[in-house]
Amino acid sequence: MASATLYSVSYDLSHLLLGGIASVFPDPLRAWISNGNVITGLAVLIFAALLLAASMLNTILLIWWERKLLGRFMDRRGAMHVGYAGLLQNFADGFKLFRKTTVQPREADALGFFTGPTAYMVTSMILFGVLPISSGWNSGALPLSLLLALAIFSFAPLFIFVSAWSSNNKYSLMGGMRSAAQMIAYEVPLLLAVVAVVIVAGSFDLTTIVYEQQNYWFWGPLFVALVVFVAGMLAEMERIPFDLPEAEAELVEGWNTEYGGMLFAFFMLADYLRSLIGSILVVLLFLGGWTMPSWVPSAATSFPLAGIFWFMLKTYLVFAVFVWIRAALPRVRTDQLLRVGWNRMIPLSLLAVFLAAALVTVKCVPVFGCLPSPGI
Amino acid sequence: MSDVTATEKPDENPILWVARPMATAARQFAKSLFRPSTIVYPYERLEDPKFRDRLDVASGKPFGVGQVWDNYRGVHALNIATCISCNLCAFSCPDVCIDMVTTAGSDPKHPKKCPQIDYGKCSYCGFCSDACPEGCLTMTTRYELSVSKRSDMIYPPERLFEVFRSKLPMNPIRLARPENEDAILLDPPLCIGCNACARDCPTQCITMLDVPKPEAKPGEKLPKRIWKEPVVNDSDCVRCGTCISVCPKECLFWGTRK
Repeated sequence: MASATLYSVSYDLSHLLLGGIASVFPDPLRAWISNGNVITGLAVLIFAALLLAASMLNTILLIWWERKLLGRFMDRRGAMHVGYAGLLQNFADGFKLFRKTTVQPREADALGFFTGPTAYMVTSMILFGVLPISSGWNSGALPLSLLLALAIFSFAPLFIFVSAWSSNNKYSLMGGMRSAAQMIAYEVPLLLAVVAVVIVAGSFDLTTIVYEQQNYWFWGPLFVALVVFVAGMLAEMERIPFDLPEAEAELVEGWNTEYGGMLFAFFMLADYLRSLIGSILVVLLFLGGWTMPSWVPSAATSFPLAGIFWFMLKTYLVFAVFVWIRAALPRVRTDQLLRVGWNRMIPLSLLAVFLAAALVTVKCVPVFGCLPSPGI
Repeated sequence: MSDVTATEKPDENPILWVARPMATAARQFAKSLFRPSTIVYPYERLEDPKFRDRLDVASGKPFGVGQVWDNYRGVHALNIATCISCNLCAFSCPDVCIDMVTTAGSDPKHPKKCPQIDYGKCSYCGFCSDACPEGCLTMTTRYELSVSKRSDMIYPPERLFEVFRSKLPMNPIRLARPENEDAILLDPPLCIGCNACARDCPTQCITMLDVPKPEAKPGEKLPKRIWKEPVVNDSDCVRCGTCISVCPKECLFWGTRK
């Protein structure tokens, strides 16, 4: 079934499940259970459960991937004992955090203290649901999915600041303020870099942007935009070298100093989920998404779930670059961070927009080829 | 220019600030991709043949299984037979982890005391092994000490003797002794000749010799004492200080013999 999508699979599953259950019961109940609305409702739930499972599984695998890579960068092996090559180590860590008590500081504001991490986690999960992973793994036709994704992405400093403020701890507060300052400084160049992609692709729909890259991936002609986007993403994800909000050496643990147990696990998971989403966005915008160049043999691109396979491979490789940066570079100072953000990144992103406009005007570039004709 | 920017090197290309560490990290990654430095300990051991090159680098000669470097300071080995119960190991221990306890099977009238080591406190400094005058307390190269109970970390003398009998490679830690060591000196007017020092000396190097009983002058009362005085054989003495601590009149002291 070539046209199977995530929703059709969950609808079939729901239909099969409810049909099986309904056949056991007598008639009025059977008719109620196998009603179309009930099947659709369960299909939506299964759809959401699949998205949740995929996001959590990938997040935990991403933590494993980072630990293993970082180990090799530091001449060691990373997690080794639990599961094959430590694959289950993070599940064990998560289980441990799940069992721990959540300690609330006496002077903390309970409302913000508990809703902050939850909202941070939930928005990151919504973000994962918006992004298309392959032609089948696609949450419906959202003509402005890129804009929606970036809008949800920039909720984060608000929730970080809320939880930092509610913790009633000076280190948390400093971390939260740094986080807000940093994210505002890098939001502008990030969005301008995205504008460059949107100008070339002519759409805010991530699926269309991927299909616009059929002749060449955008990373070549839009290299400046890629650099700005990756730097901005590093700051948005709060990863080294831009992890000032949780600079351990000066701020204990930054804005999540007061959190423990499951709430800390929420922050941790959401951080890596956002890293995953950052990598996915780089792949979608610059590396052709789930498509492969035409010179790749069709056997390598036509096996079942090939799109998801290539997409996740690209995503994990992009994340490997983020880990490489983390292994190599030291943390920058606040003033350096803000100076780079406002003084370097914004001119660079404006240059990227200019280059994108030039690309659209000339249509064809020497090495890469021409833009596809509109209407694909 | 503000103070903040003055510390940066303006002559260097900022691209290099990023490119150089990235290249270093990539080189390290390529180097450790197939064999990182880590030895995955419970599954691999330093003395495994495949790590022979690392051992050879450290010592210049190959080692057998169960053996690390010659001068490794691991579990102690105690030869109970040659221990003289001089207490020097316990005195020298900076962590106070050595207790002198009665060994099993010794004469209850004259119990033989030997060191018992609490490895929960031991810092493996080797001072005890250095202080041991008879060379009966040495350190071996055994490094595996994990136990499941805290009380199992305390090694009584019998267990240390087992380590000795297992014939592990020893690491005799003996620093050079100074030429002119302090000796046990006597303040004769205070001595009462009680024999306590000679009785408790672990090396039997104290002999009680007769001293002439002076003639009592008229009106003077002689002290009530035994007319003997200890004489220490310096070549046999191990400088443990037991005689000083048992002397009831505090008439023995450390000093340099003229």
